Amino acid sequence: MTEPVLAVSGLSSGYGQATVIRNLDLEIGRGEIVAMVGKNGMGKSTLLKSIMGYLPKFSGSVSMAQHAISDSRPHQIARLGVAYVPQEKALFQDLTVEENICLAMRGSASWDETKATIARCFPFLLQRLQQKAGTLSGGEQKMLLMARSLSVGAKVLLIDEISEGMQPSIISNLVKIIKTERDRSGLGVLLVEQNIPFTRAVSDRYVLLDKGEISGSGNTRDPDTHEKIAAHISL
Amino acid sequence: MVPVLLDLITTAAILYIVSSGLLLVFGVMKLINFAHGGLMTLGGYAAVMATAMGLNPWIGIPLAAIFGGIVGLGMERVVVRSLYNRPLDAILATWGLSIIIGQIITLVFDRGVHFAEPPIRGVINILGEPYSTYRLILTALALLLGLGLTAALRGTSLGLSTRAVIMNEDLARGLGINSGLVRSITFTLGSGLAAVAGALITPLSSVDPNMGVAWLISAFMLVLVSGSSLFSLAVASVVLGGAQVVVSNYFGSVLGGMTIAVLAAVILRIRPQGFSYE
Amino acid sequence: MSNANVNELGSSSLQRPQVRPLTRMMIVASIALIGVGAAPFFMDAYSVNVLVRSMIYAAIALSVDILWGYLGVLTFGQSAFFAVGAYATALVFTYGGFSAEYAFAALLIGIAVAVALAGLVAFLAFWHGASALYASVITLVLPIIVTQLLFSGGTYTGSSSGLTGFDTIPLSSEAWFWAVGVWLVVLTTVAWMYTRSDAGRLLTAIRENEQRCKYLGLNTSNIKAVIFLICAAIGAIAGWMYANYTMVVAPEIAGFTFGTELLIWVALGGRGTLFGPVIGTIIIDYASAHLQGDFPFVWKLAIGIVFVSVIVALPRGILPLVSNAANWLRGRIGIAQPQQYSQLQLRQASRSGRNIIGFESRGPALVVRGVEKRFGSLEVLSGIDFEATYGEIVSLVGPNGAGKTTLMTCIADGSKRSGGRISIAGHDIAHRPPEECVRLGVGRKFQMANVFDSLTVGECLQIARARLDPLSKWQKSGVCNLPPSAMHVVRATGLHSDLNVPAQVLSHGKKQALELAMVLALEPKVVLLDEPTAGLTKAERTLIGTILTELARTEQLCILLVEHDLDFVREISSRVIVLHQGRIVLNGSVDEVVNSELVKSVYAGSGH
Repeated sequence: MTEPVLAVSGLSSGYGQATVIRNLDLEIGRGEIVAMVGKNGMGKSTLLKSIMGYLPKFSGSVSMAQHAISDSRPHQIARLGVAYVPQEKALFQDLTVEENICLAMRGSASWDETKATIARCFPFLLQRLQQKAGTLSGGEQKMLLMARSLSVGAKVLLIDEISEGMQPSIISNLVKIIKTERDRSGLGVLLVEQNIPFTRAVSDRYVLLDKGEISGSGNTRDPDTHEKIAAHISL
Repeated sequence: MVPVLLDLITTAAILYIVSSGLLLVFGVMKLINFAHGGLMTLGGYAAVMATAMGLNPWIGIPLAAIFGGIVGLGMERVVVRSLYNRPLDAILATWGLSIIIGQIITLVFDRGVHFAEPPIRGVINILGEPYSTYRLILTALALLLGLGLTAALRGTSLGLSTRAVIMNEDLARGLGINSGLVRSITFTLGSGLAAVAGALITPLSSVDPNMGVAWLISAFMLVLVSGSSLFSLAVASVVLGGAQVVVSNYFGSVLGGMTIAVLAAVILRIRPQGFSYE
Repeated sequence: MSNANVNELGSSSLQRPQVRPLTRMMIVASIALIGVGAAPFFMDAYSVNVLVRSMIYAAIALSVDILWGYLGVLTFGQSAFFAVGAYATALVFTYGGFSAEYAFAALLIGIAVAVALAGLVAFLAFWHGASALYASVITLVLPIIVTQLLFSGGTYTGSSSGLTGFDTIPLSSEAWFWAVGVWLVVLTTVAWMYTRSDAGRLLTAIRENEQRCKYLGLNTSNIKAVIFLICAAIGAIAGWMYANYTMVVAPEIAGFTFGTELLIWVALGGRGTLFGPVIGTIIIDYASAHLQGDFPFVWKLAIGIVFVSVIVALPRGILPLVSNAANWLRGRIGIAQPQQYSQLQLRQASRSGRNIIGFESRGPALVVRGVEKRFGSLEVLSGIDFEATYGEIVSLVGPNGAGKTTLMTCIADGSKRSGGRISIAGHDIAHRPPEECVRLGVGRKFQMANVFDSLTVGECLQIARARLDPLSKWQKSGVCNLPPSAMHVVRATGLHSDLNVPAQVLSHGKKQALELAMVLALEPKVVLLDEPTAGLTKAERTLIGTILTELARTEQLCILLVEHDLDFVREISSRVIVLHQGRIVLNGSVDEVVNSELVKSVYAGSGH
């Protein structure tokens, strides 16, 4: 693997006294797309929140391209180039599409470059810049989330179950966009997923999460990937 | 009829000026700044100082803004910051800060009543009725303030960040917005606005160390029924302020004095979100 | 099972404290009474005079402490009840003249008006769903209204200058000192006994977690209202004394400023300590009277600064600091007392019979028909239909956002659903609030362990039993009767050795177990468990699973379970209901669900 853009080592985390993530190690390489797969309640979202600095880290460390971010606050981590897409309430519904994107842009970012990125990936959004985000359809909102994350020049993308409730056609479009942008900018992506087809189409590598611990992993192109993931998340 | 109508409009305008700073702080920080009254008093004394130094009375207003802003910034840093997760304690602590402001003012001046030179005197005729020019100017100022704040919130990047923090602070942080800084700026601005309001009302009320308290309660009630929207605050100011004027006119000033508090309590009982439409 | 089969757990291994707290309090009260008796002989007339007023204020501060420090109701309006008592007295004496009968009548009128007013305030402030801030707002409006009414009374109430010059009970300052002092000591003692009693711990439980109390079948609105009324009466009595003693009443005593001054005294003394506010008020008011003359503004400024510092840095006030220092000192000189928690025994409750369903008469335990839930235009649940019988463990599974927790809420709180019917053991829950649903036989365990952190494990269990075994108002009974099911959980998870430990120091797993025991203590027929194994270790999961299957079998409980851990579901369920996007997509045996292609696709995300 190339030098990791995101490295998690020995991380334990959770809510109050409840430990949800236990002693977890994970590295995302430059230009690598990793899917973390697990059933509900296994700690997938907790892991992302903990990396982002929303939740306290009981032990272990997180670093981003040499920067230790274990003790950083969410806005500092975001400014270092981590774009986080939470599963719920990820958009400001009452703000316009343009405002939602602008909020994520920092200092040096130029609106022209951002516009170019949007035009390349999600041209329909350019017609809707003044529309309230809440009036977009479910699938369009997911596109806006991606547009927001891609247009800020992030180095790492953390995405929480973006495929939930999405049409298959939109999913395949999303797969194409994520891969293209990865090839363009060498973005590292950590996806939290339960959707097998999406996981198989988009990721390079998968990690199985079971009760806060990694219980398996593999290269997505391996022939037994479907069976392994299906066995992991079904009843 | 015309004077009552004018009273209604100008009273609503004055209430809007007095409450807008409190509303900003409540919207962003979800806490009630009970030092708002003390900061208004501070602004009132800024006007008194301008008069004492023989300055143009209008100078009192920026002076108040500076005093209020500096004191507000200090209060946020030293006290309010540690109480974000204890909203009821924040009410008490800011009330304590209000007492401190009041006592320092009493030590510097005294506990007696002071006067500030009004920026403008006299009346103008409206539909044949003479009416206080200053109250009409305040109405214009309230409109300007409302439009200015709305423009600042909608048109600037700090305003956008502020609105984002109001709507969903966690999400805003995740996008790289330093919500602590936004809170600090908001509290400073809200405090400055409180002091400006205090300076602006000096021609209408006597200046004494407790002048802010009565206004605090009205502003508090208006903010509670308005949520975090400047527009709802305008509606609430007109409805509750209007009711106060009408009740005072027809049933006496004593009943008028409790109109806003009683109506706000009843409105919140029936509709906990008050005038905000969410 | 009979009462004779008494099971005693806990207590025996722990050392008994040498002096019982009650005895100690009686010693303290006696010393205080002697102090009150002797003080006037050693003080100048001015100090005696001031202290009478200070002690009257201390009594209202005590009532504020009960409301704010124990019950969690931040009240700005206690001054209003004080003013009602004072003005009732002043008005009766001014317009009727003084007589012993009138003095007594004035007291009764003051209390009656204050209680009536408090009833109105409680009705507004403590309705189901009112926020703590709203309650505070109402108590803030109260003094404003009372002050305005006093102004509007014109010459009748003396308007802004108040009333003066009326004759009152002819007692010397010293006699007043004794009367007020004795009253204050008695009041404080009674309040102390009450707040330390089993029922008093309920106030803390309500402050910490009102929702949990409601779901334990307790009508918290009523409890808060009753306490509020009693505190109003204390305020009115203090007002009566004040008017009698000072012979002056003015509108300021009704006001918001005085109301907040009471809060300042309580905060400085130490909220939730009773002694702190009483002693704090006396010291501050007495010192004010002496210092205000020489350094009027500096004194108030200092109070303000200390107040802000205490709120920020010492939320529990100054008294706990003093007592900690005393304990530390005692530790240094080697007479440290062991930490004293109340000793508690668990007993097996004799079955009341009212919760046992005859085998012949049983229909389904839970019937859900056409239940819908909408938030605005968003439909979270629609057309939910199912039944569950006694002895069954039904698991609700489905992806995030499927509506599982919402369905639980609709079953446990009749006011939550938008449509459809739900009945528990044959009774329609209609629009009953949670505390009444508990009465019908619903017990609900929340997702995150939801216990009373600052209460001991034993006290948590007692509160859970409060609906069936009324709590003692005067003492710690030291006994908690538990039904066999709850007793089983307590014993199996080892909680019986933690009975006198505060719930907040329990491990996450034990907290979950404690909440389960609390729910079972309600003797429910239908138990709703929202993710009972979240955050538990493998061993703890297995234990909980075993306990649940046993309970379903032996106690014939109907258990409805929301669970993400599908292995757990497979091990313990008799039936599984799969929810997806607010609808039931499958309702069948574990095998049927495991082998269903539909369920696989729902979980794999390709079912769209």
